[in-house]
Amino acid sequence: MPYEATFDRLATQALFDLKGPARQLRDWVGELLPEFPEQANSGTMTGGKALYYIGLDHWLLRAELPEEQALIAELRPADAPPDISIVQISDTQAYFRITGSQADEVLAIGCPMNLHAREFGTGAASFTEFFGLRALVTRCDSGFDVAVEQSFGPMIEDYLNRALR
Amino acid sequence: MQVNRLSHGGRINRARALSFTFNGRKYQGFEGDTLASALIANGVSLTARSFKYHRPRGIVGAGVEEPSTLVELMGNDASANRPVTTVPLKEGLIAKSVNCWPSPAVDIGAVNQLFARFIPAGFYYKTFKWPNWHVYEPSIRKATGLAGTPQEAPDQGHFEARYAHCDVLIAGAGPAGLLAALTVGRAGLRVMIADEGTEAGGSLLSRKLVIDGQPAMDWVAATVAELHDMPNVKHLQNATIWAYREHNYLMVNERAPENASLLERHWRVRAGHVITATGAIERGMVFGNNDRPGVMLASAVQTYVNRYGARPGKRAMIFTNNNSAYAVAADLAAAGIEIVAIVDSRDDVPEVARAVVPDLEVVAGSVVTQAQGLRRVRGVSVVPRSGGVSRTYSCDLLAHSGGWNPAVHLFSQSRSPLIYAEGPATFVPDTPAQSVSACGAAEGQFELSAALHSGAETAAELCEGPALTPPEGEDLAYAIEPLWRVEQATGKAFLDLQNDVSVDDVHLAIREGYANVEHVKRYTTGGMGIDQGKTGNINIIGTVALHQGIGMDEVGTTTFRAPYTPVSFGAIGGFRDESVVLPYRHTPLTKWNMDQGAFMYEAGARWRRPGYFPHPGEGLQEATNRECEAVRNGVGVYDGSPLGTFELKGRDVGKFLDYLYTNIMSSLKPGFGRYGLMLSDDGLILDDGVCLRLDEHRWIISTSTGHADAMNSHMEELLQTEFPDWNVFVTTVTSQWNNATICGPKARDVMVELGTDIDLSPEAFPFMTFRDGHVAGLPARVVRVSFTGELSFEVNVAPRHLRALWDKVLDAGSPHGILPVGSEASHVLRVEKGFLSLGHEVDGTVDPFDLGMGWVMSKKKADYLGKRSVHLRRDGPGVRRELVGVIPDPDRMIPEGAPLTPRGEKRPTEGFVTACVWSVVHKRWVGLALLENGHARHGETAQVRLKGGELIPVRVTPPVHYDPDGEKLRT
Repeated sequence: MPYEATFDRLATQALFDLKGPARQLRDWVGELLPEFPEQANSGTMTGGKALYYIGLDHWLLRAELPEEQALIAELRPADAPPDISIVQISDTQAYFRITGSQADEVLAIGCPMNLHAREFGTGAASFTEFFGLRALVTRCDSGFDVAVEQSFGPMIEDYLNRALR
Repeated sequence: MQVNRLSHGGRINRARALSFTFNGRKYQGFEGDTLASALIANGVSLTARSFKYHRPRGIVGAGVEEPSTLVELMGNDASANRPVTTVPLKEGLIAKSVNCWPSPAVDIGAVNQLFARFIPAGFYYKTFKWPNWHVYEPSIRKATGLAGTPQEAPDQGHFEARYAHCDVLIAGAGPAGLLAALTVGRAGLRVMIADEGTEAGGSLLSRKLVIDGQPAMDWVAATVAELHDMPNVKHLQNATIWAYREHNYLMVNERAPENASLLERHWRVRAGHVITATGAIERGMVFGNNDRPGVMLASAVQTYVNRYGARPGKRAMIFTNNNSAYAVAADLAAAGIEIVAIVDSRDDVPEVARAVVPDLEVVAGSVVTQAQGLRRVRGVSVVPRSGGVSRTYSCDLLAHSGGWNPAVHLFSQSRSPLIYAEGPATFVPDTPAQSVSACGAAEGQFELSAALHSGAETAAELCEGPALTPPEGEDLAYAIEPLWRVEQATGKAFLDLQNDVSVDDVHLAIREGYANVEHVKRYTTGGMGIDQGKTGNINIIGTVALHQGIGMDEVGTTTFRAPYTPVSFGAIGGFRDESVVLPYRHTPLTKWNMDQGAFMYEAGARWRRPGYFPHPGEGLQEATNRECEAVRNGVGVYDGSPLGTFELKGRDVGKFLDYLYTNIMSSLKPGFGRYGLMLSDDGLILDDGVCLRLDEHRWIISTSTGHADAMNSHMEELLQTEFPDWNVFVTTVTSQWNNATICGPKARDVMVELGTDIDLSPEAFPFMTFRDGHVAGLPARVVRVSFTGELSFEVNVAPRHLRALWDKVLDAGSPHGILPVGSEASHVLRVEKGFLSLGHEVDGTVDPFDLGMGWVMSKKKADYLGKRSVHLRRDGPGVRRELVGVIPDPDRMIPEGAPLTPRGEKRPTEGFVTACVWSVVHKRWVGLALLENGHARHGETAQVRLKGGELIPVRVTPPVHYDPDGEKLRT
């Protein structure tokens, strides 16, 4: 019996790489973003925008693609002060959504991280490995979102099709 | 006809007969059989030949300990060297013996027995030394032949490898393991239990024991059912934990996953704690000809009778030094097998043991000195240990037990030490080196009740609250007087049946100075291979101890190594097969390239790129020439997306780039770019690329495709270790900016045709500048750089727009004859221009001066990475290999890498050809080479010396074969 799970490759997401101290970033973006998460490898969501704490002074802002231009206008990457860095990286990531009652089993084929709800619960977000690639894993309703470098998208699709044979 | 199948009993499904083939003959067994039990039921006793001497062998064990009969499975089950006892019977199974030809009955290799005394342990090491081992290796491997790995993957099904995490991983689902699982499962911990058997129960499957007044297997069934209902418990059968690594990382091989399309599943488990409830393995007695078919471990005989309803013999002798064999005798007698006598090496046999078989003859204080018979045991010789007359007993089965060894393999693999315990006369787990504990027989608790208590108590230490009250198991008390070998043995007495290691071999090793047990192991190969000391090791240790007159604890054990049992390579590899055997990367144009029939290959950093776009009937050279002609005379376009691209932001970026590159970058004005080289610490070229300054604090740099990841790490390492206070942020944007590079004399025409709001005139948009704007209605950043030597516009867009841009470029370029250009043409064009390429001219040994690029080494900067190393080296006397052009004369191709030798003589090389291409400009072959003192040798003739001595004269020239002043690219 194959796994009870399916996957979809999501449309391009609006993504912005944010670096620098949280306070300076907050000063620059104002109320535009969700609250900055206080715990590493977690995220917060507001109004369809998610903000993930993915490294030391390093955040990732995610929204649906239609929000991209508005976010550029408000984030003003080119005008940001030198103490912070805001870079549009929407096209750098291929997003996959894996859902179903055994989504975690499918993830476990490619991902060495402990994804049990007790360890990786709602709001969790972490870079890890997926089929040997650097990947950002986050939880979604009834499953997980996995982002990998965009050029590896076809290979991950290949892998997931194999996993669900 | 299953001549040795008992009329009733066993955990087999007699309603489902299964046909199988062994060594070309057809047999029948039942569902639930192993191949071994089915062969025994069919009366097949000669099943193998031994590894070295090709002695006749039969089935010895009933599980993973089987040392004698390895089989090769054929067809879709193709698999090599499987212990016959671990192969579940299935309809249509085809198997054959390994290590014999043409069959176990008629084996040519049996001639080795005639020379046995001349080929003791160490024979190979001493003999096959001249001219070298590899001369003899193929024939020796064939003669001692185990089966080869299957040549093809199975027709159906696939392997899977995956990860798992748990609080407690329990190895073994015998009584102790099950009770441990129940304990931690009820406590709510995340539990994984993996057992190598086809069903849970461990030793209980083979024995007729009682737990809490009920058949033990009823307790097993109830326990398994309760575990099944626990959502926090994962229970795997047919799953062997075969390796225990650092940080409680263990490998599990599951052989019959529930997904029918899966052949095997490999689990990589990270466990909070590990409980090894791996049971115990019976060891044999060491006497003459103890390897004859029909000489079996007592527990195995018990298993075949009780679990499989198969009779390994009709007239059995028992030889033991401990109590457990008495229970075996009782079970055999109950099954109708005649027990001739029990030979017990102990003078005083405990009454509890005798009481189990009150009607059987017990020959106490005696030993079996030799098994008689060749292809099947026909009798045994027995003498009192104190001396006396030998007596012969007629039998067709000898069930022997030398005691029990805890299966300490996993515990030992965890790097936890073992300690010798006098009571059970075996090595048992000592202080854990990781978070691991042992319980049950694996801890040396060989009686059922003690094993159950051990399981409960070990698990309780991991939980809060009191331990479960374990059920009571009824079992014969265990007692043993160790007997490491029968001193009166006559004939070869084997310690390790799998590797044909005898007592004499161990004595020889010690005589030759290999006294340490680790040296004995290597000299004799005892305990090596898939046996890993399951049956032989402790008898070897005992033999060493006896020979040296020291204690077992002083001898110690050898290292138990993974894998515990053989594992399929396929299971370890998992999905990494076929199209994903190696990683691959696509650009948005990869599919288009393939649809056009492009010849695709990997071109660095796993990118699949088009090599060339052949028209029907064209080969590589014709297609490449056509694409090069288009670029030199008209216009071409290539997908430059894989080029590494990074955005750098911060107050100190200029300072950082000045340190990273050899030339000055901080002086760049916004809107301008500059080419540069990066050096390693030792002053050799690491990478090259272009820096673009976006504004005061933002920069974009490009790196070579193949080094993009390495350069990212390089920059991060410098920033995190050397300059942690510098304000520089690095963001990878390789896949944020894809590009179509339009190149050739008509490139500007195509850009105009595309439509853009950027002023394309050379004055407004000169070489080495960039402009942001729109091209063909798409937001774009256009860069005036050139990797072909022609006028070029690198049009960068978001990947989501690349395919649309590409189509528009081809449409706009169509009137100008535009062609897509592959990597082969790009290579030709850059060679004509003398542009360096990483992996060709930059091979990790050259510095900028070697390539004639001394101009890129800034004299104004006080320091930069690699500067000191370059100058230290160049101030020395060493001769450098320098980049030159080469023109073959006569006009012919030279293979890349071909050596240049002084005057073409067979001498150390003075350089090599880095590239050689057909130049569409010169209509002849031209090349580049690294040649000693090359810059001073322009105009000379050097000699390429090919393998075999063929010489190709080449004229040495400057390395730029085309447009040396760079006028075209600045057009």
